Amino acid sequence: MGIPYTWQEGLVVLAFTCILLLIVILISVYKKLEIGKEFTYALIKGGGQLFIIALFLTILFQMQYWYILIWALFVTMILAAGHTSAKRATHMPQAYQVTTPAILSGATLSLIVLAISRAMPLEPQFIVPLAGMAFGNSMAICSVSMERLIREVSLNKSSIETMLSLGASSKQSLEPFSRYSIRASLIPTIDHLKTLGVIFIPGAMAGLLIAGTDPLVAAEYQIIVFLMIVGGGIITALITTTLSRKKLFTSNEQIQEWLYEL
Amino acid sequence: MDILHINNIKKTLQKTTILTDLSLTVKKAEILTLVGPSGSGKTTLLRCINRLIDPDQGTIHYHENDIKNIPVVSLRKEIVLVPQETYMLPGTVYDNIAYGQNLQGYKDEAVIKQSLTDAGLDRSFLTKDAMKLSGGEKKRVSLARALAINPKILLLDEPTNGIDPKVLVTVEKNIIDFARKRNLTILWVTHNIDQATRVSDRIANLKEGTITEVQRAQEFQWGSAY
Repeated sequence: MGIPYTWQEGLVVLAFTCILLLIVILISVYKKLEIGKEFTYALIKGGGQLFIIALFLTILFQMQYWYILIWALFVTMILAAGHTSAKRATHMPQAYQVTTPAILSGATLSLIVLAISRAMPLEPQFIVPLAGMAFGNSMAICSVSMERLIREVSLNKSSIETMLSLGASSKQSLEPFSRYSIRASLIPTIDHLKTLGVIFIPGAMAGLLIAGTDPLVAAEYQIIVFLMIVGGGIITALITTTLSRKKLFTSNEQIQEWLYEL
Repeated sequence: MDILHINNIKKTLQKTTILTDLSLTVKKAEILTLVGPSGSGKTTLLRCINRLIDPDQGTIHYHENDIKNIPVVSLRKEIVLVPQETYMLPGTVYDNIAYGQNLQGYKDEAVIKQSLTDAGLDRSFLTKDAMKLSGGEKKRVSLARALAINPKILLLDEPTNGIDPKVLVTVEKNIIDFARKRNLTILWVTHNIDQATRVSDRIANLKEGTITEVQRAQEFQWGSAY
């Protein structure tokens, strides 16, 4: 079972499916959507990146000391995820000081649970994709929770100041808004979880089915993946909102000046 | 006895100078109104005293202590700001008035009820949804909320703004009564000249970020004000 052809044969298949790219370009030109160029660029860029990681994984899977290289991969993933998420919080100074530890903690903790429970055997073909999913999802959740928290504080400065002026600490006055932002960052994932199997078969399960895994095992694994995403996500969101407080308030329990300029 | 000394404070916000060399002394248990045109720095001054912001230069002393040396949360329990924009916390009027006490980890029902009465509302309000009150009622709840933590100085930013003119004088009387009864010092920002004359012991005129005149209410020269 699995994909019934080699990677060389796959290139021919890939070339044939580029008919779909042609359709996108034709419709884009015909309807003046102006997305054909962008889609082609995204396809070439994304496809190129995938081929590079595929080559890297091919080497990694054959290496005797793969675990050395995997640490380098982890560091790159963490730094890239922290930097990407920090770009969302454009006004917050040194936002990476919040995003990087938040993503690192959430993703690492969920991966440790997976490793201990044997859901993730300590072999590169399991570690790399699962770590990618864990870091990627933690990054998305971190971005949403951070963006939402900044927006909430910016829109509710007067209510926060009311609480502060009655003797609340910054932690106490931020608490309701931290709750909103944690909830907002997790709602899409939880909604996604509710529709599993009804509207679509999600990525991990689809991949396992294509690779010939028993559908029941594939379903179990998909649930494990979701638990990893939500478990790691809530820790990431919690740490994001906790660490953000120092960036949103001064040590004198005052709202930072940059928030008044938004 | 002086309770507050403000010495040569300056404050610039978003590249605009708001306060320039502002000095003012406030006596214990007096009601001092701050009058002046919009943008003259009245609200900014109150925010500096409550330490929602810090002045760029100059000092503010509370009972001879530089307020920068007082833990900020403790300071805000003694010098409470009632902002112009009234914000009600989710919950009942009771929840709102008890908020400051909850933060300090105690609940004094008698003080909560007395604060509501002092602010001019009867006890039937305690169970009402705070969000559904009228603008004037919300103003009074925010006054009661501040009173419930037994402040020493109350900073009132346009406290009667939005209150029905029919009850305006009653609300003013309530504030004066509870100030006298509790030996409270009040800094009261207002645009209303008649109100300043009615409620003040002294009036301070603020113009372009500095105090131009401080006089007893009866002696204040309105001709040179603003």
